[in-house]
Formats: sequence, C-alpha cells, structure tokens
Amino acid sequence: MKKKLLSVLLVGAMMTTMLTGCGGGSDTAAPAADSGSTEEAAPAADSGSSEEAAPAAAEGEETLTVWCWDPAFNMNAMYEAEKVYQKDHPNFKLNVIETPWDDVQTKVTTAATSGDLSTLPDIFLMQDNAFQKNVISFPDVCADLTNSGIDFSQFAAGKTAYSVIDGKNYGVPFDNGAVVACYRTDLLEQAGLTIDDFTDITFDQYLENGKKVLDATGKPLISMQAGECDLIMMMLQSAGSSLFNEDGTANIVNNDTLKIVMETYKSLKDAGVLTEVNSWDEYVGDFVSGNVAGTINGCWIMASIQTAEDQAGNWAITNMPSLVGASNATNYSNNGGSSWAVTTKCANPELAYDFLASTFAGSTELYDNILDSGALATWAPAGDSTAYGAGNDFFGGDAVSAKIVDFATKVPSNITGAYYYEARNAVATAITNYINGSDLATELQTAEQTVNFNMGQ
Amino acid sequence: MSKPKKMTLSKKQNLMGWLFLLPGALLIFIMSFVPMFRALLLSFKTGVGAAMKSCGVMNYVRMFQDAVFVQSIKNTFFYLIIQVPVMLILALILASILNNKDLKFKGLFRTMIFLPCATSLVAYAIIFRSLFANNGLVNLVLVNLGILDQPYAFLTHTTSARIVIIIALLWRWTGYNMVFYLSGLQNIEYSVYEAAKIDGASAVQSFFKITVPLLKPTILLTAIMSTNGTLQLFDESVNLTNGGPANTSITMSHYIYDMSFKYVPNFGYSAAMSFLILILVAILAFLQMKVGDKRD
Amino acid sequence: MYLFLCIVSFISVFPLYWMVSAATNKSAEVISGRLIPGTYFMENLRNLLATQNVGRAFGNSFKYSIILTLASLVVSSLAGYGFEIFHDKAKDMLMSVILLAMMVPFVATMIPLFQMVSKAGWLNSTIGFILPTISTPFLIMMFRQSARSFPHDIMEAARIDGLSEIRIFFQMFIPTMRSTYAAAMTITFMNAWNSYLWPKVIMTDATSQTMPMVVANLTEGYVTDYGMLMLAVLICTLPTAIVFFCLQNAFAEGITGAVK
Repeated sequence: MKKKLLSVLLVGAMMTTMLTGCGGGSDTAAPAADSGSTEEAAPAADSGSSEEAAPAAAEGEETLTVWCWDPAFNMNAMYEAEKVYQKDHPNFKLNVIETPWDDVQTKVTTAATSGDLSTLPDIFLMQDNAFQKNVISFPDVCADLTNSGIDFSQFAAGKTAYSVIDGKNYGVPFDNGAVVACYRTDLLEQAGLTIDDFTDITFDQYLENGKKVLDATGKPLISMQAGECDLIMMMLQSAGSSLFNEDGTANIVNNDTLKIVMETYKSLKDAGVLTEVNSWDEYVGDFVSGNVAGTINGCWIMASIQTAEDQAGNWAITNMPSLVGASNATNYSNNGGSSWAVTTKCANPELAYDFLASTFAGSTELYDNILDSGALATWAPAGDSTAYGAGNDFFGGDAVSAKIVDFATKVPSNITGAYYYEARNAVATAITNYINGSDLATELQTAEQTVNFNMGQ
Repeated sequence: MSKPKKMTLSKKQNLMGWLFLLPGALLIFIMSFVPMFRALLLSFKTGVGAAMKSCGVMNYVRMFQDAVFVQSIKNTFFYLIIQVPVMLILALILASILNNKDLKFKGLFRTMIFLPCATSLVAYAIIFRSLFANNGLVNLVLVNLGILDQPYAFLTHTTSARIVIIIALLWRWTGYNMVFYLSGLQNIEYSVYEAAKIDGASAVQSFFKITVPLLKPTILLTAIMSTNGTLQLFDESVNLTNGGPANTSITMSHYIYDMSFKYVPNFGYSAAMSFLILILVAILAFLQMKVGDKRD
Repeated sequence: MYLFLCIVSFISVFPLYWMVSAATNKSAEVISGRLIPGTYFMENLRNLLATQNVGRAFGNSFKYSIILTLASLVVSSLAGYGFEIFHDKAKDMLMSVILLAMMVPFVATMIPLFQMVSKAGWLNSTIGFILPTISTPFLIMMFRQSARSFPHDIMEAARIDGLSEIRIFFQMFIPTMRSTYAAAMTITFMNAWNSYLWPKVIMTDATSQTMPMVVANLTEGYVTDYGMLMLAVLICTLPTAIVFFCLQNAFAEGITGAVK
C-alpha cells in the first residue's frame, strides 16, 4: 500500500513539474508568436510611412481572407465580388479558403474560447440560424456593422433580422432562403390538378389535393427528414411565430400556432400525403428519382431538383400553403440562408466594410453575375434587374427568380434566439413522439422543460 | 559479494527502463495530461462561451438531472454490452481461422475483412443510410422474400435504429480487432497446434485451450480499447441516426459535442460530462486489468 | 469454413463495391440506388480535380501520416518495451495512469491543446499535426502487451554476451516483434490518415488541407454531387488499403521461428 501511495505521489510530482515545465515552454515560445504578429503588422506600418512601399506590402494591405464553403455558390459569389471591386481597387485581392460550415463553427468556437482570435479570417459566412448564438456567446468575434457605411435598409427586413442583436447589425445578408413549394406538374395532371390549385392555398386544401394525387399516382406530395423539423419551423414562421418570446424566454407550451403546426403535420403524415425518410440523401433521392410529387423548402433546394435532368419542364414552383386557424397566417416563410460577418481581428476593417458596401450591399452587376449559380439576392435593387425576369426552362419557362425575390419580401420576420438549436431539437423530439401516439400537450411541456433546462446554467 | 552486485545491476536495469519509457511518457504528460488538467479545472466552472465563473460541483450534479444526457448514458451502455463481446468473439474466431496454415486465399480474405475500417466515415455513413433506407436494399430484399409486408423505416424506430448502429460497428471494427489477434497469434509457435492435433484435440478444443489463454494479453488490450471506443462512440450516432428517433440512439460523446459546438457552448458542463466518461472507462478498464493483466 | 469466410468477406466488401460503382455514376443515379458501374468516372474525376486541389491534399495527408507513423512507432515501442521488460510496481502503476489519457473525449481537451499549439506557433504545421498523437496510450500498451511474449532467456544470453540494452532493443526486439510493428504501423497510419477533428481545428490555410478535409468540403453546400464525392472517398480509402495489403504478410505470417 505504502509503495502504491509513493508512486502516486511520484506521479503527482511529475505532473506538477510537467505543468510548470510547460508554462515555461509557452513563455519561451511567446516571442515566436509575437514575431508572427509583428510580421503581420509590418506591412500596414510600411505602407503608412512611405509611398515607396514594396509591392508585397501593398498587396498585404489590400488582401482580405474569407471563409465560406460552396465552390459553385458562395465561393463563386466571393470571386465575382472580388472582380467587381477590383475595377476601382486594382490592388485588391481576396484569399478565399474553402471551409465547410461545421468547420467554420468549430474553428470560431475554438479560437474564441481560447482567446486567440489570430487564426480567424477577416470575413466569414455564417448560417443565419447560428448568428444570434455566436454573437451572444462570443461577443468579441463579430464586428458591429451598424455604423460601417453599409446600407441595411435595402435588404428584406425578415432577412436582416437574423443578424441584428440588440438593435445592432452584425451581418451583411447574402443568400435567399425564401420558401418555395415545388411540384411535379405531370403528376398533378394525372390527378386532374394544376399548379394553380396549389397557389395561395391553405394546408387543408393541400391535404385534400394531396389525397387526390396519392389516389391517382400512389405518390405522396412531399417527403421530410425524420428527426429534423425543417417543415415545422417553416410552417411556424409562415405565421410569424417563434419558439422564443421577445424577452428570450421559451414560447412552446403556450404557443397556439405551434399546436396548429404540430397537428397539421401529423394529419399530413397520417393521411400518407407526407412521408418521413431517414436522411438528407434519401430526401433528395426521393424527388430526384420521382418517388414524390413535390417538396417544400428554401429556394436553394431548386439546385438539387435540377440535377434530375430527365424531369426538365415537369416542375413548377409556387408559394407554400398557409396554416388554418393561426392568426397572421401567410403563404410565405424562410428556411436556411446565410450572411457575411466581419471579424474584430480584421486588420483593415475600413477595407472590409467598403468591399461589402460596394458589392453585396451595392452592386446589381454582382447579383446579375451570380444569378446563374442560383444565388438569389435579398437586396431589393437587384430584383429589379432584367436578369431576374428571364424564364427558366426547367421550371416550364417560368421567371422563377423574380417570383422568389417577390416571395422573400413577404416573409414574416421572427425571433431566432440564441438557443435556437436547443429548441429546434426539443421540438423535433416532441413531433417524433407525438406522431408515434404520445399526447401533444405533454410532449410540448417536456420540450419546454428541456429548453429551459438548457438555458439555465 | 554477489548480492550487492546484483542489486546494482537491477538498479541499473530499473533506470534503463525509465529511460526507455521517458520520451513516450513525457509526451503523454504534456500533450494529454496538461490539457486534461485544464479541462478538469474548467469542469468546476460554468458560463456561456469564453465567459466562465466558478460553480463548484454543480456541473456534476446537473448532468444527472439532464434527461437527454441520462438517456445517452443508457444508449451507450446498450451498445457496449451487446457490441463489444460479439465483436471480439467474432474477431477471435476469424483470426484463428485465418491463422490456419493450409487455408487458401488467406491474403485475399484478410484484406477483404480488414477493408471496412479503412473506408472513410463519409462513404460508410452514406452507404449504410442508403442500405437501410425505406426503399433501400435491405427493405427490398426483405419485402421480396415475404418477410415484411411493406418497407420498414429502420432508422426511425428506436430498437431497429440501435441495431443498425450495432451492425455498423460490427462491420467496421471486427476486421480491425482481427489484426491484433492475427499479429498476436504469430508469437505462438504453430507447432503447438500441430502437436495438439496429433494428440487428437479438435479445432474447438485447441481454440479454447491454446489460442485464448496465449492471446490473453492481446484480448485484454482489445477489450480495454473497445470499451473505451464504445463509451466515446460518436461517428455512428452523428452520421447514421443523428441521435434519433427522439434521442433514443444518441451517445454521450455526441451530446457533449452538440453541447460544445452546436448549442450555446458551455465548456464547463461539457468538460464535466467528459470526466464522467473517464470515470466510467477507468472503472471498467480497472476491472478488466484485474481479471486479465496477471503475469504468470 | 470457406462458406463462412465467403459470407463474411461478401458482407465486408459489398459496401465498398457500392462505393466503387458509385464513383462511376452520375449524382442522380447514385442517390437513386444504382448498383451497376456506369460510364461517368472520367466526368466525376474532371469535376473533382476542377473544384478541389486533390493532389495537394493527398500530398499533405501522406506527409503528415508517414512522419507521424514513424515517430509514433519509435517512441511508443521504446516506452512499451521499457514498461514490460523492466517492469516493477511503479511502472505498472504508471502504465495505468497513462491509460487514463485516452479515456477523456477529445472534445474536452481540444481547446487547451489548441491554446498550447497556437502559442508555440505550430498551427498549419506538421509538428502541430503530429505532436499530440506521437505517443498514445494505445500503442504503448500494445507494445507492452506483446513484449510479454518476448523470450527472456535470449535476452539474458545477450546481456551475458555484453550487448547493451539499446542494442538488445534494436537488434533483437525489433526484428522479433516484426509482426507487432507491422500491425501497429497499419493501424497508426490508418488513424493518422483519417484523423479529422484535430487537423480541422489547427489547419486554417488552404495549403495545409488534408484528404479528409477535401471529402468534408464536398459534403457541404446546397447540392451534393454524390458521384464526385464517392470518387474522392475512394481516393481517400486507397492508401490505407494498400498499406494493409503490403504489410499483412509481415504481421500475419509466422516469423518467430526464424530468429531463434
């Protein structure tokens, strides 16, 4: 026993020496880190002091680093923005690093928690749903853009709401997440219906139409990923309702709109008009291989639909059904989308602000150039451009872009809340249990308790 | 005369031993124990993001009031109890079959059985999800054979979702563990088996009388590693079922990850939950070492 | 017996067959469950090379994994040998303590570790990638367990012949334990190659991205090109498979007899 105790002490002693040893190690390492930061600061000092600054230094000054994640979409948009801005600023350069959203979140969290922001880029793209959470959890990371010279009034109000915290703007809205309802017109036809029978309708009418399509074709109108509650959240926002109140408290048990949403969802599921699938791949697979007659999602889903080349011309889009019995019910909602954030680490914030102000918040040319990649503006002046009026053959020649920009302006804004993901997960659990036969009131009670538990520290 | 000399020799050898293990031990202390120590300090704090304040042992109390975390502990132990024994026994059987000198195409079989764990997680998740999809291959076969009337949603029912996770784990890790047994078997003289055969021992008898006892150090190693791996299980829960339906397949590590990177981060609470995993694994490993780590 | 092996092998390989055939199909075909190889391989390859710097990521992964594997084998086998051959109560105790190091989920220690590595200026570097996992409790224990079967009598004989401890290790232990080294090498290479969470935190430059990061890049975004993704995954799987194939004879064919 004594021997054991001794070895434990020995180990303890070793650990303390290691700890202090390591402390020493990082002290000696500090100069290295310092020299790194002086290197970064040097070009700025150089260019300030003399006009003959070396080209490398000048380049260093007008380069911004950006993190975003989709080569065909938001990265492409950044490259186009670079070209637009270079016309007036020939020395301007962007260093775009492909970083998936999950990685952006992990890196931002790690950097902010360890108090070392030096690894962050100047600008990064953030999912709208995560904006509140990140600004509130890490107040040091995102720069306040309210007085940056960017005109936020030109963006759709529902869209900017995601990145406004305590009345301050932290994000420049980028892509549009306005909800579209997409349908296979050839399948609707077999049930004697047209796209007009699905425009400006309620969920009751949607259910009736869905039954007709199911009888005629054997296919459900829509499939949804089980355990994710995208449709629930879209339905909720379509009536301007949220899972949180203005004061940040959970709004689940006493939320009448949420009850209507849950009941509507279950009735669709019970009738077979909606089927649940296991994963995102299966969800996409369902409409690509023609197992369902349509879907409802953010307008970005159209890019996936268009990979089914053999179905070209058989698709049409319209607005989503509205809730029955909910106050403020509309046919418009939002799902997904993202906005640009500027970090406080940015060495040249004026440049970053000016770049964003003259591109994503000031250039119809940019939005025209990126329209082909499916990036639809939430910036009002872009929608007036003639490019938005062009027809899309895949969707029967319809001018879908103009339509979506119009939808976007009608989306009711709601409260995301910092605890958005916790609440969303709790509601997903509730809907799963409710569909399997549990009592709705009890499930909502549990969901609210879970959210409150998460909010209590 | 000889006695003191022997003492110095063993002292010298003792010192040699420390020198051998010094670089490895030092690296582990710096790269693992220092961060662990900081995480331990953090587990007594709470707060949002980088703003933390002391809270005593509150985090350790809180986790047992957290319905989702308690559920995740139950789920994880369900996987542990079923998957680890089945996998190790299967790996042991495969290893002893493939150790047979007269077997043909050994290299081919070995590679094929090992390949699953070389497969990247992304591919394996997509493949398994697609196999068990509503219109996936498994449902197709079962419906055509008349075992099912209509496709069954495997990943959206609690029991079947858990079973799919266990099947996926078995698929991925059996070949991995087989590698250790195969390499361990090389340290057993093959002539021992031949002698046993001459003495009339059946394959089953030599498996239990020779293979298992002689592989005991390796079996201990794999048992501890698999226990550790299962209690920290993350990939399958995230990628196959996303913890669902209604959190009935979520694992502890998955919940800790969500708490750190998906939800409003509370690293104090995450650290506390992580240390519960440490305590659980340490107890199980201690018991396994007690049973299996005796030098004869 | 052959039937059993064939069934097990079939189950093991089927998903991989699926992956290979998916790499030759169009995205829409992959997602609707097509199992037959298609003709879209070149197209997928072109798309992949156009959107991702696969060569650079492959090179990075290769460099990091090889260096980590070699460093790790030397350090861990020395330690495992030290723990077993010179074992006493204190060392057995220390071994148990070291095992604790692997029992905490990485998520909990990642941020303190990041602080250390970042302060030392090792972000985006090979040293930053390899340092946390050069010495792992797992490998040390693996070598400790297998050193148990290292025959003590030949070691004693060597000592009487006047061989130093270091030479006994390099000239006798390493060759005798070839199968353990080969198995350890396979596993370490595989873990290094597939490691993802740590590199994604410390590699912030596009130039230091690894293969698994490229695969992750392809799964983000609004549209996933499944054919291209599967091709990337296939490329990402090959090195580990090849390493296994080359090393398997070394760890699975008896060699102990040759040394005696």
